[in-house]
Amino acid sequence: MDTPETPTYRTGALAVITTFFIIIFSTVLTPMYLFNPKPSGHGNDYTVQKLGDAARGRRIYVREGCFYCHTQFTRLQDRGYGPLVREGDYVYETPHQLGTARTGPDLTNEGGRMSAQWQKAHLVNPRAVKSGSIMPSFSYLPDRDMNDLVAYIQTLGNKRGTENFVEAPAEYTVSTESGRHLFDRKHVDTNASASANAGRGIFTQNCAVCHGLEGWGNGPNAITLEKKPANFSRPFYKQYPDEFWYYRLSEGVAGTRMPRFNEILTEEQRWYLVAYLKTLQKDQEVVINNVDQLNKVDEIKLPVLSNQQYEPHTPEGGGQL
Amino acid sequence: MLTLLRDKFLSERPGSASRNFLLSALWWSLLGMGAGLVGAAEFAMPDMMKNVPQLSFPHMRMWHVNAVAIGWLSMGYVGSMFHMVPTLCKTKLYSERLGNFTMWVWNIVMVGALCTLVNGNTEGREYAELGAVLDGLVVVGLLSVAGNLYATMLTRKVQKLYVSLWYFLGSLFWFPLVYIIGQRTFVSLPGLNDAIVGWFYGHNILGMWFTTVGVGMMYYLIPRLTQAPLYSHGLSMLGFWGIALFYAPTGTHHILQSPVPEWLKAIAVISSIFLLVPVLTVLTNFFMTMKGKWGLVVTDLPLRFAVTSSIFYLITCVQGPFQATRWVNWYLHFSQWVVGHAHLALLGTFSFILTASFYYIIPRITGREYYSLGMIRAHYWLKTLGFILMMVSLTTAGLIQAAGWAFGMPVDQWSLQIRPYWFFRELSGVMILGGQCIFAWNTYKTLYGPRSLTTPAPAAKAKQEVKA
Repeated sequence: MDTPETPTYRTGALAVITTFFIIIFSTVLTPMYLFNPKPSGHGNDYTVQKLGDAARGRRIYVREGCFYCHTQFTRLQDRGYGPLVREGDYVYETPHQLGTARTGPDLTNEGGRMSAQWQKAHLVNPRAVKSGSIMPSFSYLPDRDMNDLVAYIQTLGNKRGTENFVEAPAEYTVSTESGRHLFDRKHVDTNASASANAGRGIFTQNCAVCHGLEGWGNGPNAITLEKKPANFSRPFYKQYPDEFWYYRLSEGVAGTRMPRFNEILTEEQRWYLVAYLKTLQKDQEVVINNVDQLNKVDEIKLPVLSNQQYEPHTPEGGGQL
Repeated sequence: MLTLLRDKFLSERPGSASRNFLLSALWWSLLGMGAGLVGAAEFAMPDMMKNVPQLSFPHMRMWHVNAVAIGWLSMGYVGSMFHMVPTLCKTKLYSERLGNFTMWVWNIVMVGALCTLVNGNTEGREYAELGAVLDGLVVVGLLSVAGNLYATMLTRKVQKLYVSLWYFLGSLFWFPLVYIIGQRTFVSLPGLNDAIVGWFYGHNILGMWFTTVGVGMMYYLIPRLTQAPLYSHGLSMLGFWGIALFYAPTGTHHILQSPVPEWLKAIAVISSIFLLVPVLTVLTNFFMTMKGKWGLVVTDLPLRFAVTSSIFYLITCVQGPFQATRWVNWYLHFSQWVVGHAHLALLGTFSFILTASFYYIIPRITGREYYSLGMIRAHYWLKTLGFILMMVSLTTAGLIQAAGWAFGMPVDQWSLQIRPYWFFRELSGVMILGGQCIFAWNTYKTLYGPRSLTTPAPAAKAKQEVKA
């Protein structure tokens, strides 16, 4: 070993060691000191708060490996998945469940989006309540585990106020130039009942065929659609800001038969429609579980649907939860 | 009696540690790839496995990843290094007994992993799922491998260290550290800090272990099998230092769109792009070494595996830096494209190079020629075609998914669109697992079948040492 060339290797080995430690220092240790987000108030504090059995539900979420297919962070481009997350939202999340693949939807703000009964039915038999789902059935979970897991899911996005759950894309808000122009041109008072009255006629002509005369999602066309039209009596829609309604009307809903009304209606008509749609929400969702409750335009032969087929996930629809 | 048992289970026979590691790797590869196939089938037929928690997709996935990464690839790597390091040092392995002890530790880890992971006993950290006891055993295994090989290196009979040794010994220095840092078993870091350390580890199990040892094996096998001197030693050193320097800080590109600090993301993106430099130097070196020798892949089957591996390495390493840039990541992240990329690296590149080294080493340490060349060909074609089918279907599915996210389509809409690709992926899994089963059967017949008297063992052929 005592050859003139030995020092070369020694230098090399020293260089490897130094490089490695510099990298560890800069990308592993430094963040631990420089990056200490304060709690944002939107994360779940499992240690302080008594969230019932949600903490146990989180352990079941980890045990069943949910994070291999579901992420827990929203991005700028994820429309309809709630507000962007901030660094302080994660201070109590250990081990982190950010996830890397979205074979299923993002769950950052899942809490409260669906009823607990729906979540449980979805865990037992995903395809019964969502036809396109490829989620495995977790029917093997004992009832207690299942309930805790649902309790955990219902806390996700906890306290991120539902009033700002949905945000229209930037081009529909005043933060961008096109959005400012849109609001400059707008002269309809969307909170006035006169505007809502004007919107009612537009609704009847363009929307009622699917959404029903009262907006309960029970228009005659509804039974032909795989993806059912929205039921505007759901209290969920109370949180929609004007520009989000306007965005949905203008660009439609991707993946459904909801058309892009910017091709059909003028801007003024769409604003009148927004004013009308804002009046349809009720404190309790009107559940349509009977074919007789469908609006019939004329005497047509409708195939007889069982409740099970129509709204399988509600107790009224016969779903055993 | 005790001595007998000790000699049986902790054999001192030269080459036994290498052989035992390789055979264990082959065994775990069958279980790991089988789990991957079950998982793939559950994508295509979601209601196939109902009410069996051990077979539900997330548990299959945990076991699949750990079995192929820690069982198949890592054990195979250690087995290969136990043969290659002594050969390059022209000496014997420092301690076969310690090597066999490590082999038992590692196998116990794998049995423990199988029992815990399929029941969901996980730490919930991707790629670091194993529990505290198993983590400790893996560290014991890694440290004893490192100690054994460093001691072998110190007793070497040649003065110069070939580039493969740089790669092997470098990996054995930094990977135990990366592993210990990455487990976070006894620390509880707040959410995003946990993610930062987690992805430092998650990416470096690839960058500082699978890549560096795998490239070292390519450096060993390609010149040996082609009997051509390595094109350039200067270039090989540049590649080594480039990987050592740029690979470690890239982990954050896995969470590029999460609220971790921007400076950390910038370091990760820049180092990821810089990785093109070592990758291209390494591959230039291989392809220039192959110059004039490409025809050998027709007859030399280990070489064929090695060359296929280096071509897949080129593809995966060109994909990688682009995926790590923000604008491509914006579109492709979260989709099956990434799954395809991961399989391109671990299955396409590193599993192929390990297979090449397997077919190269087994005849040399056991003195038996492979039972059937036809089976090796079948293995090659099943694995290659199966893998290409997997890659194409996952990439296509990923592009559809990415478009779904970019245009705000509901998940249950695009998930119907990609159903055909789940079936293709499952079919590819059948092909790959079939190839692996042929491989295992062929190895079994080679080692335990009647010894062929007509063909001389390759050790007797005494291939000329090709080392400039």
